Amino acid sequence: MLDVLNILTVGVLLGGIYAIVAVGLNLIFGVIRVVNFAQGEFVTFGLYGAYAAQIATGMDPYLAPLIVVPVLFVLGAVIYIVILRPLQNDPMMQVFATFGILMVSQNAILALTGGVAYSVQSAFIGMSVSLGPIQIGLSRVIVLAVATLVTAAVALYLRHTRNGKAIRAVAQDRTAARLMGIRVETVYTLTFGIGAALAGLAGCLLSPLYTMTPQIGMNFILPAFAVVVLGGLGSVLGAFVGGFVVGLTEALAGFYLDPALKHAVIFIVFIAVLVVRPSGLFGVAGAEEVGLRDQN
Amino acid sequence: MTMTRRAALMAALAGSLMIGAPAGAQDGPLKIGAVNPYSGPFAQYGDETTRGYELAAKQVNAQGGVLGRQVEIVRGSATTAQEGLSVVEQLVGRDKVDALIGTYISSISNSASETALNYGKLYWETNALAMSLTERALPNYARSGPSAVTFAERSVQGVTELLSKVVGKAPGEMKVWLEHEDSAYGTSIAEAQKELLEEAGVSVQIGAHSFKAIDLTDSILRAKADAPDVWINTGYVIDTNLLLRTAQEQGFTPPVMMTVGTGDTSETLEALGQDYLEGVLVVSYPRADISETYGPGSDAFLDLYRSEYNRDPIAPQGMNAYFGAMLLFEAIEAAGSTEFEAVMTAAKAIDRPEGSSLTGYGVMFDDTMQNVRALPVIAQWQGGQMKAVFPTSAVADGVALVNLPRQ
Repeated sequence: MLDVLNILTVGVLLGGIYAIVAVGLNLIFGVIRVVNFAQGEFVTFGLYGAYAAQIATGMDPYLAPLIVVPVLFVLGAVIYIVILRPLQNDPMMQVFATFGILMVSQNAILALTGGVAYSVQSAFIGMSVSLGPIQIGLSRVIVLAVATLVTAAVALYLRHTRNGKAIRAVAQDRTAARLMGIRVETVYTLTFGIGAALAGLAGCLLSPLYTMTPQIGMNFILPAFAVVVLGGLGSVLGAFVGGFVVGLTEALAGFYLDPALKHAVIFIVFIAVLVVRPSGLFGVAGAEEVGLRDQN
Repeated sequence: MTMTRRAALMAALAGSLMIGAPAGAQDGPLKIGAVNPYSGPFAQYGDETTRGYELAAKQVNAQGGVLGRQVEIVRGSATTAQEGLSVVEQLVGRDKVDALIGTYISSISNSASETALNYGKLYWETNALAMSLTERALPNYARSGPSAVTFAERSVQGVTELLSKVVGKAPGEMKVWLEHEDSAYGTSIAEAQKELLEEAGVSVQIGAHSFKAIDLTDSILRAKADAPDVWINTGYVIDTNLLLRTAQEQGFTPPVMMTVGTGDTSETLEALGQDYLEGVLVVSYPRADISETYGPGSDAFLDLYRSEYNRDPIAPQGMNAYFGAMLLFEAIEAAGSTEFEAVMTAAKAIDRPEGSSLTGYGVMFDDTMQNVRALPVIAQWQGGQMKAVFPTSAVADGVALVNLPRQ
C-alpha cells in the first residue's frame, strides 16, 4: 500500500513537470495551429537563462523568471514575426521552420558551452518534505504548485480578458475573428510570445532538478506532445490533466513493469486514446482537423 | 564478424586505388588522424582525449619524432557513427594521414575503423569501451586501453575485496543493485558485472533506465525497496546526476554508492555538491593522482598537462589517451612503418607487467588485439576531489577510504 501511495505521489509530481511544459505548447497549437518543435528549446532557454542569471547576479533560479519570462516573451514574439508569420499560408513549412529553430538553437548553445553540462545552485536542492513515510522533493512540489497556478491563470486570462477572448475567437475561427475586427496577426504574435514565456518559466523552475545539456529540451518535448494529444488539442485544462495522465502512467509503468519500458507504455496509452477519442480528453471534436484546414 | 586476411588485403588494395598513392608523404610529418567528437554533447571529452594525443606527440617530437619524422595530430570531428565514416574519408583522402587514433564514443569507433580498413589504414583505439569493437577482430584495429569487461571486473573486485569489509559481510551475504542506462554501453557492463558477482555468490538485482528520461524516481524507489548493501550505476553524466539527486530527495542511503565510467568530473560535483558526494566511489580510468609506484610517470604527466593548459585535467580520459598514443608511437617505431600488419606484429611483441606505465597499465595484446593488462581503478570523492582507493597499490600516500558506510 505504501508503495502504491509513494508511486502515485511520484506520478502526480511528474505530471506537474509535464503540465507546465505542455501548457504553452498546447496554447500555440490551439491558436496558431503550429506543431512547434522549438517549444523544447524555449524550455532549454529557460534552463540556461536561470543559469546565466545566477552566474551574472547570484540570483536563485526560483527568482530567475522575473528576468527570463519577459525575455522569452519578446523572443517568442520576434520569432513569430520574423520566421513564422511570412510562412503562415503554408502550415507544413511553419512546422519545418520550428524544426530549423530547434537545430539552430541547439547548435548555438553547443558552440557557446562547448558541450559542458551545467547545474544551478539553490537552497531548495536536495530538500524534501515527509508526508508520513513518503518523501517528496521540495523542488518538485514547487513545480506542481506553479503548474497549477499557471494553468488557472492562463484559463482565467483566456476567459475573462479582452485579449484572452480575442485569442479564443481566433482559435475558433480565424476568418470570422478577422471579420469581427480582431487583429489576427497581433493575436498570433501575442500567443506565440505567451507560449514561449510559459516554456521559459518551466525551464527556470526545472533548472534545480536537472543537469543542463544543449539537447535537454528534446527530452521534454516528446512526452509533451503526448500530453497535448492526450489532453486535447488546444485545451489548456487538457494539457494540465494530460500531464497527470502521462505522469501517473509513466510512474506506475516504471515502478511495476520496468523503467526501460515506461516510454513504450506512455505511447501505447497515447495510441489507444487517439483511436478511441481522437480529439483527446478535453479537446473539441474536429479540432485536430481544423489544424490542417485552410483558414484563409 | 571476422574478416580474413585476404579480404583485408583486398580492401586495403581497393582503398589505395581509390585515394591514389600518397606521393612524397614520407618526407613530411607523420600524420595521425584523431577521430573524436569536437562538437556536440560529448565535445568536452572528445577534446580531452585528443589533448592526450597532442601531449604525447609533443613529447615524442621533442625526442626526435617517430621514424625520424615529426608527429602531427590532425583532428577529425565525428559526433555520430555516420560522421565517423565520413571523417575518415576526409582524413585519409584530403589530409593524407598515415594512421588513425580515437575514440571517445564506441559507435563512432565502430564505423570509423571499418572505413579505415577500406583505405588500408591502421585504427588505434585508446578509449572506446564496447567489447564488440575488438571482438570483430578487424585486422587494422587494436585497443590499448581498458574495455567494458575490465570496467565490470574492476567494479566487482571492488565489491568482493574492498567493500565486503566496509559493510562487514562476506560476498555470499551481500546484496548489490546494478543500475544501468539501457544502451549497449551500460547494458554490456551491467551484464558482465551480474555474471561476475553471481559467480562470487553475491545476490544481484538489476535495473535499466533511459539516460534521456526526465524522471528516475521509479528506478531509485525500486532500488530502495531492495535495500542493497552496494548500489552501482553505469550511465552518462546527466542520468547519473539525476539518479544521485533523486536518491538524495528520496532518502535512499545505501552503505555504498558507486558509479561506473562517469560521475568523476566537475559536472557531477557542481550538480550534487561536495558534501553529498563525499565517499561516493567511481570506477574510471586511472587519474594522475594515483601513486607513483603504481603509475610511474603520472606525476610527470600532470606537470606536462598543467604547463600546457594551465589547469588540471578535466577528466581522466586524457591520460589514458596519452598512454595509448605513446604506445602507438613505440609500435610504429618498432615496426618501421605505419602499415597495420607490421604495427600489429610489433605491438604484439611488447610484453610489460602491470604497473609499468603512467596509468598503471601493462602491455599484453591478446588475439583480438585487446591490451589485457589495461585496467581501470576505483576512485572516491574526498573533499571535492577524486582519490584513487583501489587497487591498494594505486593508493597514494596518506589516502584512505572516507565516509563508508555512507552516513
